[in-house]
Amino acid sequence: MLLVLKALQSLVKTLHSDGTPTQIAAGFALGAVLGLSPLMSLHNLVIFAVLALLNVSFGAGLLAMAVFTPLGFVLDPVFDRVGHWLLTDVPALHALWVSVDSTPVLAFANFTNTVVLGSIVGWLVLAIPVFIGMRIFVVYYRSTLGARVRQMRIYHAVVGSKVYNVYRWFRP
Amino acid sequence: MSTAGSDRNDGAGEAARARAALIRWRAIIVIVLVAGLLAAFWILFADRIVRSTLAEAATESLGTQVDIASADIDLSSTTLELRGIAIAHPFDSTRNIAEIGRAFVALEAGPLLRKRFVIRELNIDAVRADVARENPARRVKSEGFLPRALRNVQAFRKQFDVPLLSLTPIDTIKSLVLDPTQLQTVKAAEAVANRADSVRQDVVARVQSIRPDVVVDSAQALVARLEGKSPRTLGIAGTRDAVRDVRRLIAQVDSAKRRVEEVRNAVDRELDSLRNAVRAVDDARRADYAFARGLLALPSFDAPDIGPALFGDVSIDAIQQGMYWVMLAREYAPPGLLPRENPGPKRLRRDGTTIRFATRESYPAFHLRNGVVNVSLGESVGAARGEYTLTLADLTSDPVLVGRPMRISFTRSAAASAVESIDIDAQLDHTGETPKQAIQARLAGIDLPSFDVPSLPLRLDLGAGTSTFDLTVDGDAIHGRWTVSAPSASWLEDTSRKAADAPGALESLITRVISGIGNIQLAAEVSGTLAAPKLAVQSNLDQLVADNIRRVAGEEIARAEAKVRAEVDAKTAEARERMQAKVDDVRAEADARVREVHERLERARAELDARLKALGGGLLGG
Repeated sequence: MLLVLKALQSLVKTLHSDGTPTQIAAGFALGAVLGLSPLMSLHNLVIFAVLALLNVSFGAGLLAMAVFTPLGFVLDPVFDRVGHWLLTDVPALHALWVSVDSTPVLAFANFTNTVVLGSIVGWLVLAIPVFIGMRIFVVYYRSTLGARVRQMRIYHAVVGSKVYNVYRWFRP
Repeated sequence: MSTAGSDRNDGAGEAARARAALIRWRAIIVIVLVAGLLAAFWILFADRIVRSTLAEAATESLGTQVDIASADIDLSSTTLELRGIAIAHPFDSTRNIAEIGRAFVALEAGPLLRKRFVIRELNIDAVRADVARENPARRVKSEGFLPRALRNVQAFRKQFDVPLLSLTPIDTIKSLVLDPTQLQTVKAAEAVANRADSVRQDVVARVQSIRPDVVVDSAQALVARLEGKSPRTLGIAGTRDAVRDVRRLIAQVDSAKRRVEEVRNAVDRELDSLRNAVRAVDDARRADYAFARGLLALPSFDAPDIGPALFGDVSIDAIQQGMYWVMLAREYAPPGLLPRENPGPKRLRRDGTTIRFATRESYPAFHLRNGVVNVSLGESVGAARGEYTLTLADLTSDPVLVGRPMRISFTRSAAASAVESIDIDAQLDHTGETPKQAIQARLAGIDLPSFDVPSLPLRLDLGAGTSTFDLTVDGDAIHGRWTVSAPSASWLEDTSRKAADAPGALESLITRVISGIGNIQLAAEVSGTLAAPKLAVQSNLDQLVADNIRRVAGEEIARAEAKVRAEVDAKTAEARERMQAKVDDVRAEADARVREVHERLERARAELDARLKALGGGLLGG
C-alpha cells in the first residue's frame, strides 16, 4: 500500500511540476530502464547519473522505475530468451560481445548476461513509444484534468510534504 | 515597473532559462557527494564486504561452509590478504577439511578491470588438514564442486565389479533355480534371431534390386529372335544391327553380374556380423555361468580372482582419490575455447545465463601463475605428519587461453617424522581438445591403510611401507597403477564378525593360512574407460589362497561348476537352437538366391556369346 501511495505521490508531483511535457516524458523513458533491467547493474548507476545531470524530470524517472519494475519481473523470461538469442545465435554480433566482455570496466556491466542484455534491448525497443505516449499523456492531462486536481486537498497534502522539498532539487 | 514586478519577471526568466538548459549543473554537486559517500563507505567497510562476499562465494562454490576471519585489501598494489580461513568437511560437519592461517594474493590490475582474476603471486601459510571444528558446520543447500566431485567419484567406483571371495560350505547346488528371463544368453539369442530376420529381408531386397528378370528376359528374347538367323539371311545391315543388339545386352548382363558381386559382398559382410553376434552369445553364456556361480556363492580358486576379492575395495579407495582430483579439474578447467555458459548472479530477478566470450588473446577468467602453499599436517595423519610444500603453476579456468598445462607438486619440506619421502606430481593438460591428466605419487615410510578383509573375520593393518601411484586419464581412457609394499603387516582377528557366523572349514583354513603372512606385496591396475573401468589386482597371497581352496574344495567346486554350466545350458538351449536355426536358414537362403541370379546371368551371357559368334560379330565390328 505504501508503495502504491508513494507511486501516486510521485505521479502527482511529476504531472504538476514545472517541467515541460518533453522533460517529463524523457525522464520517464530514461527511468524505464531502471525498472526493466536488474537494478543492481553498472548501467543503472550511469542512468541515475544521467537522470540527475540532464535537464529531464528526475521524479518521472523514479516513477517509471516504480511502474516498470513489476513489468520487468513479468517479462524476465522473454528478456532471458531474447538475450540468449542475441548472445549465442547471431554470429555477426559475436565480435561485439567479445569486445564488451574484454573492455576494462565495461566487463562489469554484465551485458553478456541474458537477462541484462534482453532487458536493455527491451528498453531500447520501448523507449521511443514510452516517450511519445508519456508526452501525449502529460499534454492531455494538463489541458483537461490538471487545473481541477490542483484545487483538491489531497494535492496540497502531497506537495506540502517534507519530501517534496528534496524532490524540488531535481525538478526540471 | 515595480520592484516586485521586476523580481517576479526575473524569477520567471530564471525558471525559463533553467527549463531550457540541457545540463543541470547543480546535480554535479549531488553526484560528487554521493560518490564521496560511496568512497567513504568503501574505505570503511570494503574489508568486511570482501571478507563476507568471498566466504559466501566460496561456500556456494565448494558446497561446504567456508569461514574467513579477516580480509585486508590494498587497492594500490591490488593485493589481498586473508587470515583464518576454515573450510568445513563436506560430509563431516564436526571437522574442517583444511584450515589456512594466512593467504596472500597478488592480482594483476589490468585483467581485474576486465573482471578477470590473474594471480601473479599466491602464498598460503600455516595450512592444517583435517582439524576438529569448535562448532558444527551448517548444512549448505547448494551443491558445490566438492560434493559433486565426490559423488562423481562414488559413481565411478560403483562401476567396478569386485568379485566376492566366498568361503561358505558348498552344499547349495540343489537350490539353484534359474529364471531364463534373467539370463543374458536368452536375451542375446533372441536379439540375434531377430537380427537374422532383418538380414533375410535385406538380402531379398538387395537381390530384387538387381532386377535380373528384365535383363535375362531381354537376352532370351533376342536369342530367340536370332535363332536360325545367319549373316546371309540378315544381310550386311541386318547383321550389323543384330551384332549391336547382342553386344548391348552383353553389356547389360555384365553390369548385372557386377551388381550381383556387390550384393554378394554386402551379404557376406552381413553374414559375418551375424556370425560375430552368434559368438557374442557364447560370451553371454559365459557371463551366465558366472551369474549362476554367484548365486551359489562358489569360491574361485583362480589366482586372478583372489587379488580383487581380497584387495579390490582398498585398491579402488586409492584410485578414487586420484579420480577425485581428475573430476575436479575436468569440471573447473574444461578444454576448448569460449563462449561458455554459466548461471547468472543470484538476485531477486531471474538469474539468467552469463556467457563469457574470449579470443585467444583474452585474459582467462581465473589464472594462478605461481602459488606456494605451506602445509602442516598434524597428529591425525599419523606418520605423515610434518611440513609440506604444495607448488601450483598455471592453474586456470581457461587452459586454452593460458596454453600451458597446469602443474601441481607436493613434497616434504622438512624431515620431522618417520616418513622417508612424499613426492606427488600432477600435470593436467587441457590445452587440446582432449583433456589429459597424469598424477604420479611416490611415498616411502608412510602409514599404509588398514581395512577389513572381505569375507574373512580379519582386519589387515598394512603398517608402514612404500606405495606408488600412477594415474593417467586421456580423454575417456584411463590407466592407473597402485602398488604397496608392506613388509610389516599385521592381521587382527575381528571377533564380532566371527561371532555372528560360525566359520566353515574352508574359511578357517584360509584365515589361518594368510594370517601367518606378514609381508604383503600388492599391485592394482585400473584400465578401460571412465564409463567402463576394469580392475586387476595381484598380491603375494593370491596363489597361496587359491592353492589352499583348490586343495580343500577343488573337486567339490568343479562338480558344482559343471552342474551350473549344465543348468545354464539347459535353460538357454531352446533359445540358442532357435537362433542357430534362423541364422543357418538365412545363410542358406542368401547363398541360394545370389547363386541362382548369378547362374541365370551366366547362362544368358553364354547364349549371347554363342549368338555373337554365329553372327561373326568379331569380324564385323560394332
